[in-house]
Amino acid sequence: MFDGLALFGKSLASFADPLTLLIIAGACLLGIVIGALPGLTATMGVALLTTLTLKMPSDRALLVLVCSYVGAIYGGSRSAILLNIPGTPANAAACLDGYALAQQGLAGRAIGISTTGSVMGTLIGMFFLALFTPILGEVALKFGAYEFFWLALFGVIISGNLTGNDPLKGWLAGFVGLFIACIGQDPIHAYERFAFDNRDLAGGFQLIPALVGAFGFAEVLTVLAATTQKPVIHRFDTHFPRIGDVLKYWRTILRSGIIGTFIGIVPGVGEDVASWSSYAAARRASKEPEKFGKGSVEGLMAAETGDNACVPGAIIPVLALAVPGSAPAAVLMAAMIIHGVQPGPLIMVNNPQFVFDVVAMMLFATIGILVFGLALVKPLLKVLQVPREIIMPIVFVLCVIGSYAISQRLFDVWTMLGFGVVGYVLRRYNYPMAPFVLGIVLGDLLDKNLRRGLVLSDGDLTPFFLRPISATLAAICLATILMNFAAVRRVFHAAYVALTPWRKVT
Amino acid sequence: MADSNPSPRADLIWALAWIAIGAAVFTGGFTMDRLERQNINPYTAPGLVPAMLGIGIAVLGVILLMRSVRRGGLAAAEDGRTPADGGRLALALGLSIVYAGGLVGRTLLGFHVPFWLATALFVFVSILAFEWHDRRARGELGRGIAVAAACAIGTAAGVTAVFQEVFLVRLP
Repeated sequence: MFDGLALFGKSLASFADPLTLLIIAGACLLGIVIGALPGLTATMGVALLTTLTLKMPSDRALLVLVCSYVGAIYGGSRSAILLNIPGTPANAAACLDGYALAQQGLAGRAIGISTTGSVMGTLIGMFFLALFTPILGEVALKFGAYEFFWLALFGVIISGNLTGNDPLKGWLAGFVGLFIACIGQDPIHAYERFAFDNRDLAGGFQLIPALVGAFGFAEVLTVLAATTQKPVIHRFDTHFPRIGDVLKYWRTILRSGIIGTFIGIVPGVGEDVASWSSYAAARRASKEPEKFGKGSVEGLMAAETGDNACVPGAIIPVLALAVPGSAPAAVLMAAMIIHGVQPGPLIMVNNPQFVFDVVAMMLFATIGILVFGLALVKPLLKVLQVPREIIMPIVFVLCVIGSYAISQRLFDVWTMLGFGVVGYVLRRYNYPMAPFVLGIVLGDLLDKNLRRGLVLSDGDLTPFFLRPISATLAAICLATILMNFAAVRRVFHAAYVALTPWRKVT
Repeated sequence: MADSNPSPRADLIWALAWIAIGAAVFTGGFTMDRLERQNINPYTAPGLVPAMLGIGIAVLGVILLMRSVRRGGLAAAEDGRTPADGGRLALALGLSIVYAGGLVGRTLLGFHVPFWLATALFVFVSILAFEWHDRRARGELGRGIAVAAACAIGTAAGVTAVFQEVFLVRLP
């Protein structure tokens, strides 16, 4: 406990110099702008900034990425409230009540609520990040090849099930991602798989150009293909948060923060599910559920607390298990590896300071969004009015040069283009991107650990199903798949009714 | 983006594609060298995981096929994705590929196209092309050209300076 506090204090002190504080301010502001602009998502922003920060010292580069990640998730609420267009998918729930408040001339109050919710959510998530990462890291030390295999599969299946609106397509996207990770030299024997004697393909697809393509170029195509209207901004009231809102809805804030953090911990699910889940839970628990969707302060507070609490939550499995909790966290994990930080169960043994560095980064990011979120309301309005037709070609230039800058080879530019087109087409037909990305990230983990496990057990499959953690993960995977079948759901429902006769089940 | 569900017909076509991809991946994995000459443990054969993933993709493809047939995918129906934005999409795709694939790092007619020139041309043409209709309707073509030129020069100069001088990246 006190060791943790000492490490946290050391981390805070290490970032408290003027240049670093300037970098934090810039990164938070950039993140907010990226998030506020519809079409520029947090994943895209973190991926592009990863390429822009390659030559920075690792602690500062990761600080930029964490601050921009937090800033983007918060910034997305701005366009949700003012334009009824979520800046990032995580802010879709904020449109419902945020825009309704703006239509009533209360856009300023809505901005204040979203700022309060985001700040409180990040702080709650940050607390759990500091608390759970060492605990989860300790548990993960007991993981062997069998558990890591199931963990990788669990991530893809859960992500496929919960993101998007069609689990079957989510799983397909995840499996394709897992296959793409197999292209190139295999991690055990360095045998070239699916390379077709192409020297570039033999090295496999680099993660960052692939992600820049799937999230950056695909988004550029999406936005430029659609005709956009000039945004109409409603009139404003004061945007400074009211203490009364925080005190009145403290239960909602706490509940949403906890829900957001725990959804963040689940691999590959992410901020949008956290936001909707927090919103739904707040509505169920509310004394005024009829106001939800019509300008409910409680609804907006829940949605914004939930999605920002998910950010630190999604970083917990990155640090403790090397399994990302969301798509932007997957990019962040790739950036950590590029910068020489090896996340995973050994991080608390080899580099415990880094965990508390990330906690400190979260705190600075929270201060950043609070200050800029409230101080720069009017300038951000101007940013929202810049036509997409001007922004997107410039973003594409950054996609190209960012992909190229990592290894300085044109193959990575082609990788970005290819993944962009594939990502665009897949999304157009309702294939979600999060499991696709998670598949690419977790493919190596699944591949190595399945084969290692089989070698250890000499081909015996029972350890994959009988070791306690393996059995739990396998059961969750199976249940997740089966619960999508109506017949299985009916059986479970009948069993529930039979076992709980005192409940009136409809 | 995934605004409406694609038609069962589109899903049926996708399902067939997934089955074909799954079969191809399985075949690739199954026929992959098992490195027996190197005496490796057969459970570490490099094709094992791709073959399993190929089966997984094909099985999910079959389930998607069955679902789309059940929902009327065999009846000739129009796909929900109308190509209303086809022209703009083709323009965006065309400009992007010409810039990233055809100009950046290329030598055309014996002349190496510098990154800054390719970037300036791409940004100028893209902004102008996508704003053309609106600007012309408002009688602001001259202003549109000036804005596009300013953005093109600013982006080319800014990106070149930052990556070349600050990050020390050798630009293509």
